[in-house]
Amino acid sequence: MEFEELYKIKMPDEVHQAGTSKQTGFPSPATHYLESTIDLNSILTTNRDATFFIRISGNGWKAHNILDQDVLIINRAAPVKHGKLALVVTDGSFKIERIPTTSVDDLEFTVWGVITYIIHAVL
Amino acid sequence: MIALVDCNSFYASCEQVFRPDLWGKPVVVLSNNDGCVIAANKEAKALTDIPMFEPVFKIKKLLIENQVNFFSSNYTLYGEMSQRVMNTLKLFSPQVEIYSIDESFIDLANMRFVNLNAHGHQIKNTVLQHTGLPVGVGIAPTKVLAKLANSMSKKITGYNHVCVLDTTDKCIKALKKAELKNVWGIGKQHRKRLNNQGIFSAYEFAYEVSLEWVRKNMTVVGERIWRELRGESCLSLAMLPKAKKAIGTAKSFGKKLTDLGMIEEACAYYISEVSEVLRNQNSCAQYIQVFLQTNYHSDRDAQYSKSVTVTLSTATNNTYMLTREAKKALQTIYKPGYRYKKVGVNLSGLIPQEYVQTNIFEQEISKDRSQLMRTVDKLNQKYGKSTVCSALVGNRISQWELVKNDRSPRYTTQWKELLTIDSECL
Repeated sequence: MEFEELYKIKMPDEVHQAGTSKQTGFPSPATHYLESTIDLNSILTTNRDATFFIRISGNGWKAHNILDQDVLIINRAAPVKHGKLALVVTDGSFKIERIPTTSVDDLEFTVWGVITYIIHAVL
Repeated sequence: MIALVDCNSFYASCEQVFRPDLWGKPVVVLSNNDGCVIAANKEAKALTDIPMFEPVFKIKKLLIENQVNFFSSNYTLYGEMSQRVMNTLKLFSPQVEIYSIDESFIDLANMRFVNLNAHGHQIKNTVLQHTGLPVGVGIAPTKVLAKLANSMSKKITGYNHVCVLDTTDKCIKALKKAELKNVWGIGKQHRKRLNNQGIFSAYEFAYEVSLEWVRKNMTVVGERIWRELRGESCLSLAMLPKAKKAIGTAKSFGKKLTDLGMIEEACAYYISEVSEVLRNQNSCAQYIQVFLQTNYHSDRDAQYSKSVTVTLSTATNNTYMLTREAKKALQTIYKPGYRYKKVGVNLSGLIPQEYVQTNIFEQEISKDRSQLMRTVDKLNQKYGKSTVCSALVGNRISQWELVKNDRSPRYTTQWKELLTIDSECL
């Protein structure tokens, strides 16, 4: 390990909030405007216990804007509605389908979960 | 009213959630070191008489011949999925007692006006939708009856995994059908004694045996079960998990070890695992047991096993102090020339951290030391298991740790092990 690397190990940022560090001079003018920093976990996953992350390999679902190595955020608690993109199961294998207008009971596949976001890395 | 919710073939179901190709197929899960079958789903149970707890090497052929899918146990996955189920149950009542990894009691005391059967189905459907795991629900006035209702929910197809015993009539009918061995909390000994008295069904126990007889022969524990079966609630929901009385671990090595140095490293590694559990529940151990054994299944190897228990001068949960003691203990039982299969450690005599007595020759437990352990725990929680550990653990883990060949990925806890679906395989 490079010596410099040591500086990269920091305390966790979970408790980070503007204004929590001690200020010795003037009181912060932001005091009454404090809000928590954006937490992607709470925005992208509304129901943690029903949320699963699933990776896709290959470009077979390009038509759905899903590319190789993208990660799907799937919310199993989300209602299955017409037009939603969903991970489904037919004949024992996973597929991605858009929910058609037919009644949910008449679907030709089993819905595993509704896709809520696609994480695409550009690094 | 109390509901008992339990997951159907929990370990196998956890595996199947992520493997739709295995839906409806036989699945079994093997024990920690792939030693024996510890769980089987209903398809596997129906298929053939796969013996539970039988060493795998004896039945592997049978499993393959019957096209049974088998997995090494993946407790990381099961533990995480269990958490999801328990959290989902909290949507239905603030009072949830987690009874085991796949069972929970829910207090429905404030649900008097809802249709309990519909409510039970809603619990079942919600858990299935959110987590993918099938559950059975038993609802009754007491814990013991809820447990009975739960087992009926599975056995009687018409119930469709939800059984409600909400009237005395229904309870009595259920008790008449239930054999004593299906009653929660009645052990083999008591069952035998009751059978000798001509008591075979749960109904006969609850309504034909007198309270005096139960008190005299089955103590207060039996009395509670007796009362609960009659619909009188005696067992309240335990909301807080009980702190463990002893914590231990012992796992087989990936290959037989002869070298003391390597065994010491494995032992130190186990100590760091168990002492972390100890610190999480704020207790300290008074005794430490270390044991060492060869492979008793082998006819060719010379056999040896030995265990030693050491009383610690001061109860502790400090990894470094425990590691030092374990190392000393190990050296006293180790004999060269044997091929060892496993080393184990067991911490017992657990007492709350704040009650630790120091002995007069020792200084007070140093604040620095517990601060050090807190920091180590925090680092390991953030950066992963064993990021910081005692030097005695060494860096040869891959040389002794058992590789679980058939373990599924840790789909829900490791970013690198996410379920990956091939979009081009059609």
